[in-house]
Amino acid sequence: MTNIWLGLFSGIAFGFVIQRIGATDAHRMARSHLMLDSDIPRFMLLAVALSAVGVFGLQAVGVGRTLPLPTSIVATGLAAVIFGVGWGLTGYCPGTTWAAAGEGRMDAIFALLGGLVGAALFAHLHETLIPILYDPTNVGQITLTDLFGNHAVAVAVLAVGFGLCIWGIGKLWPSAERVDAFERGPDSEKSSSNTGNSG
Amino acid sequence: MEHTNRGPIPYWNWIPAAFALAGVIVFIFATFGPPASSSGFVSLLKGFFEWTAPEYAASNPHYNSIPGPGSWLFTFVLGMAVGGFVAGRTSKRIPVRDMPPIWKKRFGDSRAKRYTATFFGGFLILFGSRLAGGCTLGLFISGSSQLAVSGLYFGVVIFGAAMLTARLIFGKISGKEETQ
Repeated sequence: MTNIWLGLFSGIAFGFVIQRIGATDAHRMARSHLMLDSDIPRFMLLAVALSAVGVFGLQAVGVGRTLPLPTSIVATGLAAVIFGVGWGLTGYCPGTTWAAAGEGRMDAIFALLGGLVGAALFAHLHETLIPILYDPTNVGQITLTDLFGNHAVAVAVLAVGFGLCIWGIGKLWPSAERVDAFERGPDSEKSSSNTGNSG
Repeated sequence: MEHTNRGPIPYWNWIPAAFALAGVIVFIFATFGPPASSSGFVSLLKGFFEWTAPEYAASNPHYNSIPGPGSWLFTFVLGMAVGGFVAGRTSKRIPVRDMPPIWKKRFGDSRAKRYTATFFGGFLILFGSRLAGGCTLGLFISGSSQLAVSGLYFGVVIFGAAMLTARLIFGKISGKEETQ
């Protein structure tokens, strides 16, 4: 019972933050994917690096639960390609569809419905597809700790690696402050009632 | 509001926002375990099939691996919708749109076209997520936080595929703006 309330509370906090950074805005996501806006990728990478340090701290004091998923070279890679095409097309990922649907974006509601169909179809094909695609190249629940032999070293490697990515993205992609002409352009002549803010 | 973007951008700065999200993620690890959101879809479907076709739900291995709607996994995605709603209602500056302007510029005003595309895209992201066992949050973010190779691998490929797809779809109209 506690879990239900914890889930609801965590979801509200998570949904609130991703709305405020603009991850529920498919326009901003498209511009991120087009390398026109570096804020969302840098936000994601920094959040992961900080979380890795946080999870390391939790494990040091023996709090919480971890469960790394296995890596299947074929299935994880193929799934990522399918996912990436959908993400690039819609600008939504499974979590943001819920938050964006809650915000009132109609296209996200359709993405959510399509997602239910996709999940139902995969569940239906689970018994057929998992033995063909997932199991043969499943290399198990490997982590960077297995590769580097020490949890603290592995966290440091991840943090430095992500830090370099954040720095590189910041150098190569413009950030939101510098590019605003495109945001201004296309919508200005075609505004309709649905484009108003919700305030 | 989005017509007068001369002012400061309406979104939070990415650095404090990342600290806020990491705080939420670490809280979830401490109180529940690895966060996930694509599982919430399965959880909802499991509840639906337990109600309409109990034998099917009971015999399907995918539904057996995930708890039904009375679980953290489902209340989390429900909470995401509530969080998005509250955040949308309390922000006067972030525009809520049914169609992204970049999509309108490329494909015109047809809502049917956009909704068909997001329905199909939603299908792809969930089909992919369930094959991999997680999504941006459940595999990339929560996996990488635990240093899982699966999360890092998934993350690299989804970014690559999404960037390529966006370039193929919107590339023509984004070209001009890139030069500034």
